[in-house]
Amino acid sequence: MISAFGAVLFVFILVTALAAAVLRDILAVIIISGAYSLGMALFYAFLLAPDVAMTEAAIGAGVTTLLLLLTVTRTVRQDHNRAIERPNVPALLVCGGFLIVLLMTVAEFPVVGDPAIAWDNPAITQYYIDNAYKDTGVKNAVTAVLAGYRGFDTFGEAMVVFLAGMAALLVLKRGVFTNE
Amino acid sequence: MIEAYANRYTYVLVAALVAIGLYILIASQNLVKKIIGLSIFQTGIFLFFITAAFVEGGSSPVIDGEGLYASPLPQVIVLTAIVVGVALTAVALALIVRIYSEYGTLDEETLREVRADE
Repeated sequence: MISAFGAVLFVFILVTALAAAVLRDILAVIIISGAYSLGMALFYAFLLAPDVAMTEAAIGAGVTTLLLLLTVTRTVRQDHNRAIERPNVPALLVCGGFLIVLLMTVAEFPVVGDPAIAWDNPAITQYYIDNAYKDTGVKNAVTAVLAGYRGFDTFGEAMVVFLAGMAALLVLKRGVFTNE
Repeated sequence: MIEAYANRYTYVLVAALVAIGLYILIASQNLVKKIIGLSIFQTGIFLFFITAAFVEGGSSPVIDGEGLYASPLPQVIVLTAIVVGVALTAVALALIVRIYSEYGTLDEETLREVRADE
């Protein structure tokens, strides 16, 4: 069952997500999405994932908000005639149907955090918990898996970030390909 | 019925966030707001993974002797996905800045008209 703190976060996340959908002013939506990321980070911490929470707070609430604000300064903050978006009925129907289908599957999932069926694959998870410190000398199992067991995966991730940076530079710098 | 959903509250939140993200992605006319919708959709999926790792009454996966820990494996995949997600956002926003400097608008409808006129 959900605790009071979890329930407050649940409502906060839902309200900020809805506000982001409803508000029209892009600056307001960016600030709301920063608050949403912060709520999400707290929810990850609540669900025993402090490493993910720190990453979400730094990258989701920090870097992404910064990038969005930079985009707004370089583009435009459109008209302010209406504060609220006009509802798009076909999109509402599609997303409402999608939501109903997803909610129908929810009852089939295991109860949240049930210790009896805690992990999808207990033998494998137990292996990492038992051997992470022995194999890598790091007590934090998340760090051990990230930088140890899945080191090449993390290297590939660094490649992705590098390529994304290159792609962004190439897109923003006019005339790189055309010699203008 | 209500209790079944209350016991699976994170899955309800996952469904709601994915639906809201999808709605913003489809319905919003502003390209920047579409990217925000995309990242809300993403965090919904991340929450699904984090829920799979969660153990009631356990502790975070910093191993200190025997005990009940949250599974580190889904958490690591989410860490990677968050970083890849921000890389994706950065490229998308760079493209948006370029679109604005080329066409002078961020509105989807206006953009379609401008491109049709060319």
